[in-house]
Amino acid sequence: MARYLLKRIFYMILTLLIVATVTFFLMKLMPGSPYANEAKMTLTQRQIMDQQYGLNKPIWQQYLIYIAGMLHGDFGTSFQYSNQPVASLIGARLGASVQLGLQALILGVVLGVIAGAIAAMRQGTWVDSTATVISILGKSVPNFVLAVLLQYYIGLKLGWFPIAGWGQFSQTIMPTIALAVGPFAETARFIRTSMVDTLSSDYIELGKAKGLSRMEVIRKHAMRNSMIPLVTLIGPYAVALMTGSMVIENIFNVPGIGEQFVKSILTNDYPTIMGITMVYCIGLVVILLITDIVYGLIDPRIRLDESEA
Amino acid sequence: MKFTKLFAAGATVLIAGSTLAACGSNSNSSSGSSAKKTINWMDAAEIPTMDISKAIDATSFNQLGNVEEGLYRLGKNSKVENALATDTKVSKDGKTWTFTLRDSKWSNGDKLTAKDFVYSWRRTVNPKTASQYAYLFEGIHNATQISAGKAPVNSLGVKAEGDNKLVVTLDKRIPYFKLLMGFPLFFPQNQKVVEANGSKYGTSSKTTAFNGPFVQKGWTGSNLSWKLVKNKNYWDKKNVKLDAINYSVQKTPSTAYNLYQSNKLDATVLDSQQTKNLKHQKGYTLRDTAATFYLQFNQKKKIFQNANLRRAISMSINRKALGSALGGANTPATSLTSKGVVNHDGKDWSEVVGDKKNATYNPTEAKKLYKKALKELGVKNVSFTILSDDTDSGQKTTETLQSQLEENLKGMKVSVANVPFKTRLNRSTSGNFDVVVTGWSADFADPISFVDLFTSKNAQNNGKWSNAQYDKLIADSKTTADTTKRWNDLEKAEKILLSDEGIAPLYYKTEAWLVRPDIKGIVYNGAGLNYNFKNAYVAN
Repeated sequence: MARYLLKRIFYMILTLLIVATVTFFLMKLMPGSPYANEAKMTLTQRQIMDQQYGLNKPIWQQYLIYIAGMLHGDFGTSFQYSNQPVASLIGARLGASVQLGLQALILGVVLGVIAGAIAAMRQGTWVDSTATVISILGKSVPNFVLAVLLQYYIGLKLGWFPIAGWGQFSQTIMPTIALAVGPFAETARFIRTSMVDTLSSDYIELGKAKGLSRMEVIRKHAMRNSMIPLVTLIGPYAVALMTGSMVIENIFNVPGIGEQFVKSILTNDYPTIMGITMVYCIGLVVILLITDIVYGLIDPRIRLDESEA
Repeated sequence: MKFTKLFAAGATVLIAGSTLAACGSNSNSSSGSSAKKTINWMDAAEIPTMDISKAIDATSFNQLGNVEEGLYRLGKNSKVENALATDTKVSKDGKTWTFTLRDSKWSNGDKLTAKDFVYSWRRTVNPKTASQYAYLFEGIHNATQISAGKAPVNSLGVKAEGDNKLVVTLDKRIPYFKLLMGFPLFFPQNQKVVEANGSKYGTSSKTTAFNGPFVQKGWTGSNLSWKLVKNKNYWDKKNVKLDAINYSVQKTPSTAYNLYQSNKLDATVLDSQQTKNLKHQKGYTLRDTAATFYLQFNQKKKIFQNANLRRAISMSINRKALGSALGGANTPATSLTSKGVVNHDGKDWSEVVGDKKNATYNPTEAKKLYKKALKELGVKNVSFTILSDDTDSGQKTTETLQSQLEENLKGMKVSVANVPFKTRLNRSTSGNFDVVVTGWSADFADPISFVDLFTSKNAQNNGKWSNAQYDKLIADSKTTADTTKRWNDLEKAEKILLSDEGIAPLYYKTEAWLVRPDIKGIVYNGAGLNYNFKNAYVAN
C-alpha cells in the first residue's frame, strides 16, 4: 500500500507539473496584455508596464520564474485586483464554492440514491416512470434556468428564502438546490440501472431463497453492490461542483471561485489563471487518488497493487 | 419497511432543515429602504482596488469619488466646484497653478496638507508604481520623463508651500486642467498610511485612508458587499445627508431587479430586455455613459482611402434599426464626442458638432456615392470584413451592419469577424483589419478626450486617417489662451473628421436604470467618476 501511494504521489506531482507547463505556454499564446486599461495605453506605456511586471523577459524565463515561485508557495499577485496575492484571492473565494459544492453534492446524491433505488424496486410502475421523467428533466434543464425560476417564485413571490447574497445558511439553499439537480439526475439514473442489474443476479435470488426479507436483501446485498460504481461518478463530480459555477454564483451573488476563473482568462490575468488551474488540478488528482483508495476498501475484489496481491 | 422509513426520516430532516433556515432568513431580512438615511446601491463588478494610483475602472472611481476628495468636486454637467481648494490662481501663461487648500483631516484624524498631494502625484508617475493611467499627467512638468524612468520622481512639477499651498508647474497649457483636478487620479494620498501598509495599501477598507464625504467599511479585497458610512472628519459633513450607502455587486440584472422589487436594492441597472419592458415604470432613468461606438476604416487599404465609399457606408447604416437590434437604451450617434459629456453654452456638444448629413440613413444618396466611389476606384465592387468583439452586442452590431450594407449597396460583399476583446484590440493596434467597430469612453468631460484620438500620430488612431488641417486645429486648441478660439477649433476639427467620414459614428452608449424616485440629490456624470452621493438624500 505504501509503495502504491508513493508511486501515485509521484505521478500526481508529474501531472501537476505537466498541467502547469502546458497551461503556462497556452496562456502566453493568448493575444493582448493583462492591463485592463490596455485600450488607452500607448506602446511606450505598455513597455514601461511590461518592464515593471517582468513581462518583457523571454517566455521561458518567465516560466522558470513562475515555477520557482510556485514551488515556494508564491502564486504571484493578481492583475485584476491590484496588489492582491493570488493565494489570498483564491483563499477568499474558494470557501464559498466548496461549501455550495459539498451541500449540492450531498443533497443531489442522497436524493438521487433514494429516487434511483425506489425506481428500481418498483420497476415498470408509475413510480419508476415518474422518477425517470424527473431525472431526465433534471439532466436536460440547465441549472441556471432552475436558478432563475427558484429565485423568482420561491425568493421573490413566496419570500421563503433570501433572493441572493452570502453569509447566512438560508442564502445557500436555493443555489444548493439549483446545483444539486445535476448530480441528482445523474445518480438517480445510475443507481436505477445498476440496481435493476443487481436485483436480477443470482446471489439476490439465493438470498431470497435463504428466506431473507425483501428489505434485508436490498439493504445488505443489492444496495451495497449497486453503490460501488457510484464512487467513480462522485469523484470528478465533487471537483466540478466544488470549484464553482460561474452562472449560479452570479445569479445568487455568491463570492465563489467559478466566475473569477472565467474573468481571469478574459482579462489575461496570468497569475490568477495559473493559480486557479493548479487548485482545480490538485483537487482533481487528490480526489481521484481518494476514489481509488476508497474503491479498494469497499470492494475487496479491486486490488490497488498487483505486487501485493 | 425499515428501508423506506429510514429514507422517509432523512427526507423529513432535510425538509425541516430548510424550513427552519427559511424562518431564519425571514427574521434577518428587514433592511430595505425603510431607514430614511440609508440607501442600498449596486455596482456591476467587484472593486479591483482602492489605490488612487492604480484605479482604472468605473467601480473603483465610483468608490474613490465618494470616499476621497481632491481640489475640486464635479457637480452637475461636470461643473467644477471647490472642494479642498478654496482659491485657485493661474499665471498669465497658464503654466503655473497655485491652489490654496482649506484645513481638513483624513478619516484617521491626520491633518491633510499640500504635501499629501505632492506625495500622491509623485507616487502615481513613479514607474515603480506601474500606474496604467499615468499618461493623464502628461503636460505637468517632467511627468512623461519620470514615467519613462528618465527623470527623478522629485523633479515633477508639483510642490507644497507650507501646509495649505500647492503649486503646480505645467510644461504647456492644459485647457482641461481643472476637470483633471476633479478626477480621482489627482486626489491626495496619506503617505503614512500608504507606507505603513506597503503592498497591501488600497487592497481592503482597512488598509486605505479616506478624506471624502464617506468612509468605506467591510470591503475585504474581493467580496461582493460593503458599506460607505458618513465620514465624521469630513470638512463639509453638515451637507452630507446620508448616514450610509450599502453597496452590493450585482452581475445578473434579473437578480438585481428581483432585489429592487423586494426593496433590498434602491437602484438597479437594466439589461436590454428589461429596458424594453420597464420603460414606463416610475424611476426609469437614462444614464449617458460618455462612450461612443464608431467604425474605423483602415486607410492603409486602398478602397478606404476613398471618402465617398466611407460616406456611402455611413449613409447606408440605419442607426435606429441598429439600436433596436442591440436593444437597451443606446442612442443613434452623429458625432465622435459622446452625448451628455460636454454641455457648452447650454447645448450638448454632440449636437453642436454632429454631422446630420453623413450619419443619417439615406440609402438613395448612399447608392449614388457608392457608384461614384466605384468609378473613382476603378473597380466593379468592393468586399471587406467588419471586425468586432465576440460579445452579444458586438455580434449583433456586425450582423446588422452586414445585412444593411449588402442590402443598400448592391454588389458590396461584407464579411464579419467577431473575436475576443483582447484579440480585437490587438488587431486594431496592429492595423490588421478592414473596418473595425470601436468604442471609446471619455476620462474627463472635454471634447479633447475624443478628438485627440484622430490626430495623425495618435496611437489610438488605428485606421490612420490623417488630415493636416485637423492636426493643426487640435494642436492650436491645446495651446491657445483664448477660450472662444479653443472651442471654435475643437468644433471645426470634429466637423472635418465627420464630414470626411474619418470615422462613422454608430451609437452613444446609454444605460437604463431603475432608481427609487424618493432618492434625490445624486449627481451623475458620464465621464470620469459617475456617481457623487455627497448631497444625496431620501425624500420623505
